[in-house]
Amino acid sequence: MGVSKAAAIVGAAESNEIGYPEAPKTSLELHIEAIKNVSDQTGIPISAIDGVFSAGMSSEIAEHLGLHPKYIDTTSVGGCSFEIHVHHALLAIYAGVIDVALVTHGQNGWSARRIGAGGGGGYGGGGAASPSVQMSSPYGFSGAPSNYSHAMVRHNYLYGSTPEDFAHVAVVTRDWATLNPRAVMFSEETHEFGGPITLDTVNNARIISWPLTMLHCCLVTDHGGAVLVARPEIARSLKTNPVWIAGAGENMSHSNMLEMEDFTATSAFSSSRTAYQMAGLGPEDMELALLYDSFTITPALTAEMVGLAPRGKGHLLWKEGHAAPGGRLPINTNGGGLSFNHSGMYGMQLLVEAYRQLSGTAEDGINGIEGKQTNARTCIVNGTGGSLSTTGTLVLVSDD
Amino acid sequence: MAYDKPLPTPSPLTKPFYDGAKEGKLLLPRCEDCNRVHWYPRYICPFCHSTNISWIESSGEGRIHTFAVQHRAFGGWAKEVPFVTAYIDLNEGDRMVTVLRGVDATDPSSIKIGSKVKVEFEEASEAIHLPFWRVMEG
Repeated sequence: MGVSKAAAIVGAAESNEIGYPEAPKTSLELHIEAIKNVSDQTGIPISAIDGVFSAGMSSEIAEHLGLHPKYIDTTSVGGCSFEIHVHHALLAIYAGVIDVALVTHGQNGWSARRIGAGGGGGYGGGGAASPSVQMSSPYGFSGAPSNYSHAMVRHNYLYGSTPEDFAHVAVVTRDWATLNPRAVMFSEETHEFGGPITLDTVNNARIISWPLTMLHCCLVTDHGGAVLVARPEIARSLKTNPVWIAGAGENMSHSNMLEMEDFTATSAFSSSRTAYQMAGLGPEDMELALLYDSFTITPALTAEMVGLAPRGKGHLLWKEGHAAPGGRLPINTNGGGLSFNHSGMYGMQLLVEAYRQLSGTAEDGINGIEGKQTNARTCIVNGTGGSLSTTGTLVLVSDD
Repeated sequence: MAYDKPLPTPSPLTKPFYDGAKEGKLLLPRCEDCNRVHWYPRYICPFCHSTNISWIESSGEGRIHTFAVQHRAFGGWAKEVPFVTAYIDLNEGDRMVTVLRGVDATDPSSIKIGSKVKVEFEEASEAIHLPFWRVMEG
């Protein structure tokens, strides 16, 4: 047997509360809630987990659960870490080292601001004396938006796109969020600025880092999520349906944006080719795409990189309605990092949504909501971490 | 008024750069074996992996690769919003990041990718003079 489909995602669950919890949560608490839920969902006891994968917290989590795992992976390279964890879990299971891998996420992006505690895990970058930090830290950058804006300006320059073109990404993604009751921006009841938005709303929102207005930028929320990855014999024995990992790949082009050679190209070109090759499938076979949307530029660039759109034309998938509800290629059906949930790292939210859409066994009934469910049986998932730095791609397929 | 923005933490690796900056010189690391300039400073050439690296004095000129206008910032920079950050293609090769001087942050359409820029130094502290880039006339 080859590595393709040597393991499946057999369950995916979230913490009891996501978004803006009533009482502040710790990151560890979000992890543990999601792990408990995915164990209940699949019927796999936590004690059967023999591999633990998280962005920076694996030893603490394993200890908290009383586990003595045979495989410990704490890869933390930004929001794509979780797609990379699934890749590593696939390889570890294929190699016969473990049977059941836990990939887990907990991040209190929202609560941390209220309790003054760290988010837990994440993209660290170098210390103050690292030379790349020395040469960029004096110049007034204020986190991810202040960097990603430079990529949009370069895209506009090279391909004649406009910031308004990318506003379509925000509008369409919000349309998806209005079909997902768990989305922060589902309606005016869930958030004072929730519900449908227009191009004018996006264009006229407060400027954060020109040309990005606030509505070109993702949310900052809490989220916990966990998936279990298991070998085929186990995957076929459960009450949940397996979603097969047909292909997986990862790559990086740089860490500091100083080293990003082409501001309109990411390593998703390489990571997706690795994943497609493993799967024996190509972009034309994908019926659903879940593309990390930290900013409107991110999924548009990614669509170009993974072969869903020609270079310079990624934004047209949204502008022409193809990515929208009812379109030929649904993208970010949960409402995305822009309007569903984004805790700082968004890769787990992608995995949970992929499992929901492809498994037909969502634990919370979201798949049953009319207009939300797709009939997709194939899905490309692409996480992007850092400053358009690191990528992890998965090609997932439904069970036969 | 005291400088109230983030200062870099120099290290032995980067000391020659800051020494040069105090004299108004932009020093860049260049590999003695492949002759390519790289930025930021490294212990090893990222192109040919030689460790035979020396410093050269730059012409101090380059062009805007891309830019953005920051409307939200923290610390000392918060008082200066909006300001323009940019990546600069150096004439000698590779790229630096900066805050642009001599541009109108309220009119981004007046700022052009490809425009020629020249380096200048601002005294942040006695030990640290920082390079900034100014758009050249014409």
